[in-house]
Amino acid sequence: MVCAIIMDCGTCETAGPVQVMTPEVVDVNLSISSKAQEMLSDAFGDDRSMALLVGVLSGGCSGYMYDLQIVEETDQSCQEIKVDGFRVLVPNSSSHLLDGIEIDYVDRLMGGGFKINNPNAESSCGCGESFS
Amino acid sequence: MPRVAYNDAALTIWTGGDSLKLIEGLSTNKMTDLAKGEVRQTIFTTTSAKIIDIATVYHMGDFLAVQTHKSCLEQLLSQVLPKILDQDVNIRDVTDMNSFLIEYQLEYENVGHFTSNSGTTQAFIAHGLSFIVSTLDVVHQIDGSVEEFNEWRIQNLIPWIHHEISSKNHPLAVGLSNFVHPDKGCYVGQEVLARMISRKRQGKRLTRVVNGEVDEKFISTQGKTHSLAIVRQN
Repeated sequence: MVCAIIMDCGTCETAGPVQVMTPEVVDVNLSISSKAQEMLSDAFGDDRSMALLVGVLSGGCSGYMYDLQIVEETDQSCQEIKVDGFRVLVPNSSSHLLDGIEIDYVDRLMGGGFKINNPNAESSCGCGESFS
Repeated sequence: MPRVAYNDAALTIWTGGDSLKLIEGLSTNKMTDLAKGEVRQTIFTTTSAKIIDIATVYHMGDFLAVQTHKSCLEQLLSQVLPKILDQDVNIRDVTDMNSFLIEYQLEYENVGHFTSNSGTTQAFIAHGLSFIVSTLDVVHQIDGSVEEFNEWRIQNLIPWIHHEISSKNHPLAVGLSNFVHPDKGCYVGQEVLARMISRKRQGKRLTRVVNGEVDEKFISTQGKTHSLAIVRQN
């Protein structure tokens, strides 16, 4: 390894990885408000083969960011939930952060759009896209 | 140039294609454009923008070497590890396999880059300051004292871990605004720092004072004639 001549990076020795405590996968329950259902119906049209992927990314002002996408399928290990006729995919890795959420839609000129009401969030940033 | 031991340094190795992106989202500096051979400092902060640790990130090509501090590592990892989620990031702690030095008063340097040879990597951090990471079989001469290093820091207004850089302070208050990127987008603590910058209200600031000039409770590094202090801005 190149690193061995410049510093000891541990790849040639026995430095173990830092243990990551993987949270348990939770069976997610979520709801979609009537306004959000209206907006999703507009987005999906009649094609209900597409799914709404509700995920979490690291970053944002509070550490985690919501990630909403309309997808056909995904490579991520997900659980699929049927909510009011919509296919919703939730990655298992973030299921512990998303159990109990409500997907809402706020109709206003500034800061409007889909919003997640999350009972697991201790705090969230002003724009509502990030939480901790 | 004088060298002193850097006993509180910690070194973790980050592998995986998402490592820089993860650091970018959790710390204050722009990191995703860091290139192989470059070194850059960034600050991990809490949601209230208080400092968790300052990290020195070496882009080694196949991996990142992230130099932080032993005394802050547990809190830092508790901030970082839950955020990995599905991302391609693996972290190994190799602190005990390396030794760490500080070299200062350098006159010629290539700030933001590092050189490597014979088991030693030397990173040029700021004007006159560098960090040296070596394998344990490399023997270095230590010819400076902590007191002399602190005098040099006071002279050059350089904040240090557990003196100025602490969980009581935010980066702008301790002279680390160079590592707070103004338009990189969201990161943990960004709302608070952006508000301070836009309103030009940073609260406290790091300053060099003549001893006796300010109350001792504001002194963060005590020197012989001058000290560093964190005082409220007028």
